[in-house]
Amino acid sequence: MYTLLVQKELKNILLSSKFTATFIVCSILIILSVFIGIQEYNNAVSQYDINQQIASQNIEEANGWDRVRNIAHRKPNPLQIFVSGLHFDVGRLSNISSRDDVKLSRSPYSDETIFAIFRFIDLAFIVQVVLSLFAILFTYNAINGERENGTLKLAFSNSVSRAKYLLAKFSGIWLGLIIPLLIPLLVTLLLLMVYKVPLSGADWNTIAAFFGLSMLYVTFFIGLGLLISALTQKSSLSFLLLLVIWIGSVLILPRIGVMTAGQLVPVRSVAQIEALQQAYEQQQWDEYSESLSNSWKQRMQEMEGMTEEERQAYRDEHEWNWMEEDDALRRQVRENITKNNRLLLEETQNRKNHQQQLAFNVSRISPASSFRLAAMNLATTDITLKSRYEESMRTYRDIFTEYVEQKKEETDTQGGFQISIDSDEGVSIDFGRDDQKLDVSGVPQYTAPDVSVAAAFGRSIIDFGLLSIFIVICFGGTFVAFIRYDMR
Amino acid sequence: MEHTESNITPAPMLEARNLTKVYEDGIKALDNLNLKVEPGKIFAMLGGNGAGKTTAINLFLDFIQPTEGMALINGINANKEPLEAKKHVAFVSENVQLYPNFTAMQNVDFFVRLGGKTHYSREQYEAALHRVGLQSSAFDKKLKDFSKGMRQKTGIAIAILKDAPAILLDEPTSGLDPKAGIEFIRLIGELRNEGKAILMSTHDIFRAKEISDHVGILNNGILMAEHSSDDLRGVDLENLYVEYMAGYMEHTESPIANALKPS
Repeated sequence: MYTLLVQKELKNILLSSKFTATFIVCSILIILSVFIGIQEYNNAVSQYDINQQIASQNIEEANGWDRVRNIAHRKPNPLQIFVSGLHFDVGRLSNISSRDDVKLSRSPYSDETIFAIFRFIDLAFIVQVVLSLFAILFTYNAINGERENGTLKLAFSNSVSRAKYLLAKFSGIWLGLIIPLLIPLLVTLLLLMVYKVPLSGADWNTIAAFFGLSMLYVTFFIGLGLLISALTQKSSLSFLLLLVIWIGSVLILPRIGVMTAGQLVPVRSVAQIEALQQAYEQQQWDEYSESLSNSWKQRMQEMEGMTEEERQAYRDEHEWNWMEEDDALRRQVRENITKNNRLLLEETQNRKNHQQQLAFNVSRISPASSFRLAAMNLATTDITLKSRYEESMRTYRDIFTEYVEQKKEETDTQGGFQISIDSDEGVSIDFGRDDQKLDVSGVPQYTAPDVSVAAAFGRSIIDFGLLSIFIVICFGGTFVAFIRYDMR
Repeated sequence: MEHTESNITPAPMLEARNLTKVYEDGIKALDNLNLKVEPGKIFAMLGGNGAGKTTAINLFLDFIQPTEGMALINGINANKEPLEAKKHVAFVSENVQLYPNFTAMQNVDFFVRLGGKTHYSREQYEAALHRVGLQSSAFDKKLKDFSKGMRQKTGIAIAILKDAPAILLDEPTSGLDPKAGIEFIRLIGELRNEGKAILMSTHDIFRAKEISDHVGILNNGILMAEHSSDDLRGVDLENLYVEYMAGYMEHTESPIANALKPS
């Protein structure tokens, strides 16, 4: 009997014109989205390769180790094809220098703003918005529609248990929606192979997990549709209710979470941080100027009462030490500024993390948020994308600058240059090196931060769990409601 | 009526014993209903809207729980052992809709198999559909293209194929055209002759009188009167019905009531 009921549900779905329309729309959307995602990824890879070469060339052609400037680039991630997450919003590159802090800039959307207006629709978006809506369309009248049709009464005039009927209905609808969706999803996997997207074993596992997550999410909306259908007598009412719930959970609740967290845990804006940094910097340089002025006053006092020759001799004797002292002081100021900037950033980052955590926890009352967060965590295009890269780039910056400092010492280029003015030859600047290219073979290369599959799963496990709980609640509620359902 | 009655009264296939239903809002939909339908008999429940006819059928099908009393199908309490009881009953509702995306054949196949009959061949389905008067060309048409009469016929075919000893019909002729109505009465008669116990709710006084062995008149959940077809022979049932509905029978000496009084 269970099989018969499942077959009926399947047949009922597959024979409906609603199914044909949604299947075609879903298939086109899914395949097109992944196809465009692959193109985007390939473009990003080409751009990344070119930028890497240019960065390397720039180092080679620098006028000495003191002039070396490096740029680290964010590596495209093949999983962004399915879950773009923050990929298009986070900067692609950062300058690597001892003077400036690491800051990712030039995001794909800031470079090509037109695409920011009509944002890329990834598979995660299609699942989150389109498939959930379709799941509702197929379930809003699953029970009350049968009551309206009289088929519920006719079915239960036979020896059919309500529990078995409900289970079969759920299974039939689930199979009727999920199996046809597997077809376009399999096509997307074929596309990945045809276009030779470099996917590791771990990436394939992640894709499988993402598909599983998507099914879990769609299952929730199937359960929700059944629940509301079992709680109401009229399909028009259940459709309206489901639409309101869908709008609330997919469009409103995730934003409410962010807004609530913003109010409860305020975080300094970029402008405020920059203002604080500048104020500190100004204060440090003012103190430095004063200190420098005092030092010179003291040096002058030391030379008081000396003859001109004695003064010259004293200067010649101490000039180098003085320069070193001044330079050390300047370096100290720079260090202080860098340290302060880092502290400010760390403090802001900690507060931001707190705010993010609160926002996520609040918005997780919506299954759509849970799905989105889990999908981004799996694909590693999540909220930590920026900080993860910036953190690894800072580590790289330290390694890189240390290497450059070492090279500067080895090649005796301390960053000075000489300007000569000659009445015959005019002005010339000498950087103290010949025109030969630098040997960059030993320059440390930046490697993208790696997130293990286990770590990605670990971060998304809470959302998998929440989605499962939501499903159990929906199905449990549907069961209770259907056992008490008035079939008349 | 062509059927013959034996002198031994068989055990009732359908029986309501003190069947009472009071809804949560206090409305008494059915008040102490007692009725019996033996195999090969048709019992017609007459009454206006809200008289309690459909409530009685819903109680037999366990769609609602009785406040008091019991509904028995083949001696099985339909509210205590619904799954067992429903094996012995087929049901045709007032407005048979079925699955609009399924063909008549697919609908019949599904509901008949759901009723536990899995051994039928397509030819047997076709024979049942022919029997209820459905054109062969309609067998493989989707139900969404069917008229109400055609859907009703499909519903009856399902009930026939379930081959249950008891049949519950809830306003089966409602909305049918006269020709379909006559065909339906003929078919019900055939089923009765096959030994089915049929409990039918209807507004249709004339058809009830024409086909039924017993007629019960319900008003406000109370079975006001129950008469056999013999009692009703020569009685103007329409006037009788109106008088019951108006409550005349309790207060006045109606000539119709007098005619019905046992001598």
